[in-house]
Amino acid sequence: MMGGGMLFRVIALSLAALTIALPILGGPLAGSGIGISPYLANIIGQIATFALLAIALDLIWGFAGVLSLGHGLFFALGGYLIAMHMLKDGYVNAGVVPDLMTFMGWTELPGYWAFFESFPYAAVLILVLPGLLAFAYGWISFRSRVSGVSFAIITQALTYVAMLLMFRNDTGFGGNNGMTGFVSLLGMPMGAPSTAVWLATASTAAALGAFLLCGRLVRSPFGRMLIAVRDDEARLRFLGYDPVWPKLAAWTLSGVMAAIAGALYAPQVGIINPRLLSPEVSIEIAVWVALGGRGTLSGAVIGAVVISALKFWLTGFAPDLWPFILSLLVLIVVVGLPNGLTDLRLPKLKGARHGG
Amino acid sequence: MPVIRLLILLAALFGSPAYADRAVLSGALCAPALADQIAALGALAEAGATGGKDEAAWARTVVEAVDARALRCAASLAFIGEGDAALDAASLAPSPAPVDAAPMPINNRLRAAAASAAAALTLFVDTEPAARAKAATTLERRREALSLTILDAALAAETEPTVLAVLEPLRARMMLADPDPQNRIRAIDAIAAETTLRNRTLIAEALSEEADTTVQAAGQAAMARIDRQIAIGQVLATLYSGLSYASVLLLAALGLAIIFGLMGVINLAQGEFIMIGAYAAWFVQNAIRALLPGLIDWYLIIALPISFLVAALVGVVMEALVLRRLYNRPLMTLLATWAVSLLLINLVRVTIGTQNLEFHQPFYVVGGVPVVGDFIVTLNRLFAIAIAALAFVGVVLLLRVTTFGMNVRAVAQNRAMAGAAGIDARQTDRLAIALGSGLAGLAGVALAPLYNVNPNMGAGFIVDSFMVVVLGGVGSLAGAVAASFGIGQINVIMEPLYGAVAAKVVVLLLVIAFIQRRPEGLFAPKGRR
Repeated sequence: MMGGGMLFRVIALSLAALTIALPILGGPLAGSGIGISPYLANIIGQIATFALLAIALDLIWGFAGVLSLGHGLFFALGGYLIAMHMLKDGYVNAGVVPDLMTFMGWTELPGYWAFFESFPYAAVLILVLPGLLAFAYGWISFRSRVSGVSFAIITQALTYVAMLLMFRNDTGFGGNNGMTGFVSLLGMPMGAPSTAVWLATASTAAALGAFLLCGRLVRSPFGRMLIAVRDDEARLRFLGYDPVWPKLAAWTLSGVMAAIAGALYAPQVGIINPRLLSPEVSIEIAVWVALGGRGTLSGAVIGAVVISALKFWLTGFAPDLWPFILSLLVLIVVVGLPNGLTDLRLPKLKGARHGG
Repeated sequence: MPVIRLLILLAALFGSPAYADRAVLSGALCAPALADQIAALGALAEAGATGGKDEAAWARTVVEAVDARALRCAASLAFIGEGDAALDAASLAPSPAPVDAAPMPINNRLRAAAASAAAALTLFVDTEPAARAKAATTLERRREALSLTILDAALAAETEPTVLAVLEPLRARMMLADPDPQNRIRAIDAIAAETTLRNRTLIAEALSEEADTTVQAAGQAAMARIDRQIAIGQVLATLYSGLSYASVLLLAALGLAIIFGLMGVINLAQGEFIMIGAYAAWFVQNAIRALLPGLIDWYLIIALPISFLVAALVGVVMEALVLRRLYNRPLMTLLATWAVSLLLINLVRVTIGTQNLEFHQPFYVVGGVPVVGDFIVTLNRLFAIAIAALAFVGVVLLLRVTTFGMNVRAVAQNRAMAGAAGIDARQTDRLAIALGSGLAGLAGVALAPLYNVNPNMGAGFIVDSFMVVVLGGVGSLAGAVAASFGIGQINVIMEPLYGAVAAKVVVLLLVIAFIQRRPEGLFAPKGRR
């Protein structure tokens, strides 16, 4: 069960079908009976970014056995970077003064906003900055064999500190109001139906790409190594392998994928603020993966899609009910279905997974 | 017949010395010179201040008569009123005034002095605090009849804080206004003996109008002394608030560390157990208010065992329903306990509401003892520190002395061997969870008089408690104490300087740096794992 098999193919095909169908059903056929409204496209796009985020976490948690309770940090980092690009672009090219300048009474943006009007620059940063951050923290931790619960708690503390930092108004990132009022992205005006459809398409395409990439990766020798790290790191080390580099590679890749998800998410919701950095958001990502089934990429996607769709649907008419449903769902799955919802379909595997 | 008058006077003197004094005191008002008359008013006020309530009441009657232009003089004897209706000013007995009795001449300076004396005497006569406070503010403006003797007597007798707040600085200003430079220096030293910011301001005010260089020098020295004391006080105050934060942290982290050391389980709901403890204390308060109102002051003490038990019960239920099934999957317990915390927060939110709870503040958590500078050992913080200290001693004893403690240590060291030696490991786990959760409940009681109590109160503690566990090492009590004090102090020292964010960043960086060298924590047990 390395992510191959029937379910894997079904999900890959569905993502591919969505990626092809979205521009058609949301574009020329939008008004027809089988067409997709921009609102629905937007929701599909958001859920696709969540699926991408879940794949990112599953790679490091499900396969390498390293739980991160701070993937919201990378997600938000990607979101903030793309938001900075859109605001700077709007300021330079359309003359729209960002709210945060008005609010702080600034006549110009701080120095670190330089070049952000260029999309390639922002895109490179979206890949490089989270990668560097993940690499630095992973290197420090894995090298000194910090793992398990301590690693998870420290990732959460990092995210918490980042949230406190971003809540400050003088940092130049919008403080508790965050960033909003985006004008356009790559020439596409924000709020236009076609933009929503294209962003959603890009999101499903990104999720598909990550799904296929990680599927290949976990079936490769590298993936075997990750699973060995998860199941018995001490034995692997004893056999003469260094577990630090595979872990570090998977961790950094995971951070970058989460940042890409964030960069696709922020334009679709039209706002980014520090609440994405709250511990709850990061833990919810782990909940998707746990519910869907750790160690199967399909499970991660299913978990993210099912829970976030349920949340979209429920918060519409019973927002107070959602925390109860979520917590009970987690308890039931964690206690009753050790491998997540995929347990419902699969016959029980002999012997539970290790590294829990 | 002067001889007879003298005899009568002597008889009065011997028969009733008080009245004789009163005769002299009131008679002095009839002195021809204005300065003597003002001095007489001062003497009257002083006599009233030192002679007891009756004397003060009499003095005030005479002084008010001066103000009302009712005083008449006949050969150094004073009468109140005219002709046959007059009263003898000394005895207030009806005594027809002699025909040559002339009204006492009044001018504005005399009236001001009379008003001052009346206000001073009101401090001793009036039982109404508001009236005394009004008199005290009058005295701030009119000091003509005021003396240090009067003020000291008033300060000794006064209990009302609003009146004291006016009189105390007034006394300091009186002393600083003395014409003799030596006395002014003495006054500065006396004021500087109590090193508060307010006294520093008083001295600074006085020095701004001071011409004498020796007084200036003494004043500057005194201010430097106060500044030093205030600085020391501020350092102590910071350390003290860090200590109280650390004690609450210790209570929360101790429970976490015990559970983590035993089972490798991190309880993300520990912050919510603190909240449960605080809410249990609130229920205890309401129950006592309804059933035994006489004991309301002691509800916090009564709540201690109850909050402990309630939080312990929630912990045991969580263990029985959830954790028991996850013993080999520590990362899953993170999610499970997070779900429990989400459930608890929302249950409380729905059933009780999101507002901050109101707590009665019993006398033992109100106020404090001033120590140095503006540093006050506040009792509410002392209460938290005391609970933490007692709980810590209790936990140490429990783990070192009792069989249960021995079992906990055995299971933490080697679960399989402990089982082989006949220790019921699961039973030990259950009791340890109860203990760990109960300690969080105690933290809730300690927080009740200090912090806002609402459904979200636990969230602020959880990250810091984890840092304590990570830094303090697994199941090591000494490490938990050292780590919670370190983190508590860093938090309160950094916060006023660079804000709460900087404090958290520093703690986090320290933890990450520290864990590099000692992944097992501060005081990790030696040996293989």
